Amino acid sequence: MVFLQNVIYYIYMAFAAISGFFLVKQLFKREKHKGIVNDIIYAYCIIPFLLRILQIK
Amino acid sequence: MSIYVSTSIILVAMVAAFVLSSIFLKSPDISLAITAAVAVLFGVGFGWTDSFSRVMVEGLFVNLDTVLLFITASIFVSIYSETGAINSVTRKLVSRFQNKWILLAFMGAFMLIPGALTGAGSISIFVLGAMVATVVGAMGLSKKKTAAFVFMFAILSAAAPPVNLWAMMIASGSDIPYVGFDLPLMFPIVIVSIFTIIFLGWGSKRKSKEEVLASLPEADEHMSWWRILTPLVVLIALFLASNYMAHVIPVLGLPLMFVLSAIAAVICNPKKLSIKEYGKIINNTFEQIFPLIATVLSVGMLQNAMSASGVKGLIGITFITLPVIWIYITVLFVAPFLQGALNYGSAVVFGAPLIFLFNSMGFDPKIVAVALSLIFPIGDCLPPSRITGRLAVEAVGYEGKYTSFLLAVLVPCLVLGLIALAMMIWPNSFTFLI
Amino acid sequence: MSLKMEKSLLVKIIALVCALVLACLAGIEFYDHRHTKETVVAAEGLTEMHMLSEWVPSLKGTFGDTPVFFFDSGVEGGTILYVGGTHPYEPAASLSAYVLLENIKVEKGRAIVIPQANRSATTTGMLGNAYPSFYEVETDWGTVKFKNGDRWANPLDSWPDPFTYVHYPSNVSLTYQDIRNVNRCYPGRPDGSLIERVCFGIMEIIRNEKVDMAIDSHEAAVMYPVVETYVAHDRALDMAMMASMSLSAEKFYMKCEASPKNLRGLSHREWGDFSDTLAVLMETPQPFTDWIVGPMTPTLQTEGKDEFLDTAAKHGLTYVDYNDDFGSPIRYRVGRHLSGAQEVISWMNQMMPEKEVLVSWPTYEELMEKDCGYFLHDPAKADPSRVFDI
Repeated sequence: MVFLQNVIYYIYMAFAAISGFFLVKQLFKREKHKGIVNDIIYAYCIIPFLLRILQIK
Repeated sequence: MSIYVSTSIILVAMVAAFVLSSIFLKSPDISLAITAAVAVLFGVGFGWTDSFSRVMVEGLFVNLDTVLLFITASIFVSIYSETGAINSVTRKLVSRFQNKWILLAFMGAFMLIPGALTGAGSISIFVLGAMVATVVGAMGLSKKKTAAFVFMFAILSAAAPPVNLWAMMIASGSDIPYVGFDLPLMFPIVIVSIFTIIFLGWGSKRKSKEEVLASLPEADEHMSWWRILTPLVVLIALFLASNYMAHVIPVLGLPLMFVLSAIAAVICNPKKLSIKEYGKIINNTFEQIFPLIATVLSVGMLQNAMSASGVKGLIGITFITLPVIWIYITVLFVAPFLQGALNYGSAVVFGAPLIFLFNSMGFDPKIVAVALSLIFPIGDCLPPSRITGRLAVEAVGYEGKYTSFLLAVLVPCLVLGLIALAMMIWPNSFTFLI
Repeated sequence: MSLKMEKSLLVKIIALVCALVLACLAGIEFYDHRHTKETVVAAEGLTEMHMLSEWVPSLKGTFGDTPVFFFDSGVEGGTILYVGGTHPYEPAASLSAYVLLENIKVEKGRAIVIPQANRSATTTGMLGNAYPSFYEVETDWGTVKFKNGDRWANPLDSWPDPFTYVHYPSNVSLTYQDIRNVNRCYPGRPDGSLIERVCFGIMEIIRNEKVDMAIDSHEAAVMYPVVETYVAHDRALDMAMMASMSLSAEKFYMKCEASPKNLRGLSHREWGDFSDTLAVLMETPQPFTDWIVGPMTPTLQTEGKDEFLDTAAKHGLTYVDYNDDFGSPIRYRVGRHLSGAQEVISWMNQMMPEKEVLVSWPTYEELMEKDCGYFLHDPAKADPSRVFDI
C-alpha cells in the first residue's frame, strides 16, 4: 500500500509537470486569450507547477 | 495608527485597485493579482510583511489541487464528448421520455450525484453539464434558464450529503463530529430542487422529439450503452470505492480518478484516434479552461494577501461584532460575497466564530452549520471568482450578459437562502432532523 | 519575423523571466523553511534517542520520521510521554517540549519526549493564512529562529488528499486535509498515509513502552471554546479535573473537559481507547490562530497582541479573559504547558502511586520571570552528543 501511494505521488508530480508544460507552450503559442495581459497571467500561473515539481513547495 | 485605520486604508486601496484594473485591463484574473499585490505592498510598507514574493507565490498554491482537478476533469469531459457518448445518451433520453417534468427531474437528480459524492459542484458540471444542458434546452428552456438550472443543481449537489465541504470545514473548526448532517442537509435541498425545476421549467414548451433530434449531430452507430456507461461507471465506482473502501485502496484523489475514467473513455471510443489527436484535444482543453485556472490561482493570491494585510480580520471582526439581528439581516449578502472572494476559506474564517456565537445563545450548532453551508454556495456565482457560475454558463454556451444570468438564478438562490436563514433563526425547531 | 511578432515574443519572454525571478525569490524562502532545522541540547539525563521509523520502518527517510527522546532515571516507576508539534502552527507546544527536554530532571521512572510529532508540517506554512515562516526567541547567546508550521503535513510529503478523509477504524468522514492532521489520524495504520503511519508509530511507543500517562500539547484560538483546557480521556478525567482545580486556584485558570466519545482520531480519545495510557490534551490561548486577527506578523506569534481580538473580547466573543495590553505571550503559553503537565502528573502520582514518576522542569513562574530563551542552551558550547537537529 505504501509503495502504491508513492507511485500515485509521482503520478501527481507528472500531472503537475504536464500542466506546467502546456502552460509554457501556450504562453508562446495559443489560439485563444491572446494579448499582453494574458501573457502575464500565463507566466505567473506557471510558478506553482514549477515549484511543485522542483519539490520546493 | 490604529490597526482599524491602517487595514481600512488597505481595504479601500484594494477596492480601488480592483475597480481600476478591471476597467483598464478588462481581465478579472490580473485584477485579482494586482489587488493582492497592492494589499501585500501596503503590508510591506507598514512593516508587517517581510516578503512580497513569498506571500504572493504562496497564494498561488492555495488552490493548486483545485486547478489540477479542473484540468483533469475537463480533459475527461473533452475526451468523453469526443467519443460521441454525450450526444448518443442525449438522443436516447429525448427519444425515450416524453414528459418535460420527468426529464427535468431526472436531470436535476443526476446532477446532484457527482457533487454530493465529491463535495464539488464543479464536478457535476464537468461530468454531466453538457448533457444536462442539451436535454434541458430541448425542454424549451432558454439558454439563460438552462445555465441557471445547471448552476442551481451544481451548488445544490455541492451542499448535498454525504460530502458537504463547507459543513465539514465548519464542523472541523468547531469540533462538531460530522455525523447527523445528512437529513438536515437533504431536507432543504429537496425542497429547493423541486422549486428550481418548477420555477425554471414553468411556461417552457418542450420541443418536438423530431425537432430536437434533428438539431443534434447524428449518433455513431457503434455507440452502444456499454461504451456510453463504462467511463461513467468507472468514475462513480472510484468515487464510491474511495469513500466506502478507503482503507483497502490507496488514496487516489479526484484528478487521478478523472484520468482513469478518461482512459476508460479512450478505450470505449468507437472512433480510433491517434495519440496526436488526443494530444490536440488535451491542448485545446487547456486553452479552453485557462481563464478558470487563472481565476482560481489568482483568488488564492488574494486570499493570502487579505490574511497578510489584516483585511480578512477587519471584515471578520466587523461582521461578527454586529448585533445578532444585523447578522441575520446581512448574512445572505455577506456570506455569499465572502464565498466569491475566499471560496472554501469563507467557511473557515466565518463559519467557526458564528457557530460559537450561536452555540453560546443556546442554538443547535449542527443546524446552524447546515444553514451556513447552504448559504455559502450561493456565492459561487458571484465575483471576483464566480467559479461555478462561469462553468455553468460555459457548459451551456450562454453568451448573454453575466448579470442577466445572475438575475435568472436570483429567485431560486433566494429561496435557498431564506430556508437556510430560517434554519439559522430557529435552529432548535429543526433538530428533529438530526 | 515581423516586428510585431518579435515584440510579442519579447513581451512573453519578459513576462516569463519576471515570473521566474518571483518564483526564485519565493522559492529560496520556501526551500529555507523546508530544510532549516531547529537545534536542541538535550538535558544531561538523556539516556536514548530513537527515531520514530524504528517503530514504523516505512517512515525512514521521510519527513514523517522524527526524534523520540528517552530520559530514564533508572529507578523503577511509571512512564510519561510529552508530545509537542502535533500542530506546528501552535509553536508553544513544540517550544515547551524543547524547554522541557533541555532542562528535564527525572528522579523516578521514565520520561519520553517527542518535540515535533508532525515534522512534515513544520516545513511549510498554512496556505491562505500568510504566516511568517519563522519567529524568534532571544537568548543570552543570541537570537534563535523557530519555524511557524502548518496544521497539516506538507503536500510535498503526502499528496494527493482524498476528497473526503475516512478515519480508520471508525469510518467517520472528516474534511479532506485531515488525512495530513496528526490529531485526526490516531490510532493510525502501519500501511496508511504518511500521517496515519506517524500516528501508528506514536501509538506503538505508547503501547510498547507501556506509557502510563501521555500528554499532547496544543494551542487554541482565543475564540475557541476549548482553550485554557485539559481534555482528558475517561480514565484520566479525575486527575485532570483535580489538576485544573489546583492550577486555577494557585497559578492560572485552567478548565477540564471530558473527551467526547464520537469525536474520532484525536489523541485524547484514541490514545486512551487503543492503549492503557492515561491520555490528556492541553490547550493554551494563541491569538495567532484566531480567525479574525489583524496582520500576520512574527510578533503576533510571540506577543499575541491584537486589536481586533481585543474588540471581540469586549463583545464577549472570546473564551479567555483577553486584552491587547498583555496579549498572550509565548512565555506565558509555554509556562502554562510546562506547569500544566507537571500538575496532572503530580495528581497521577497521588492517585496511582504505583505509577509514580518524579520529574521536574521549568515552571510557569520561572517562564514568566525569565522568558523562554533563558532555558535554551547554546549548542556551540554543549556536549555534541546531546545536540540534535530536528
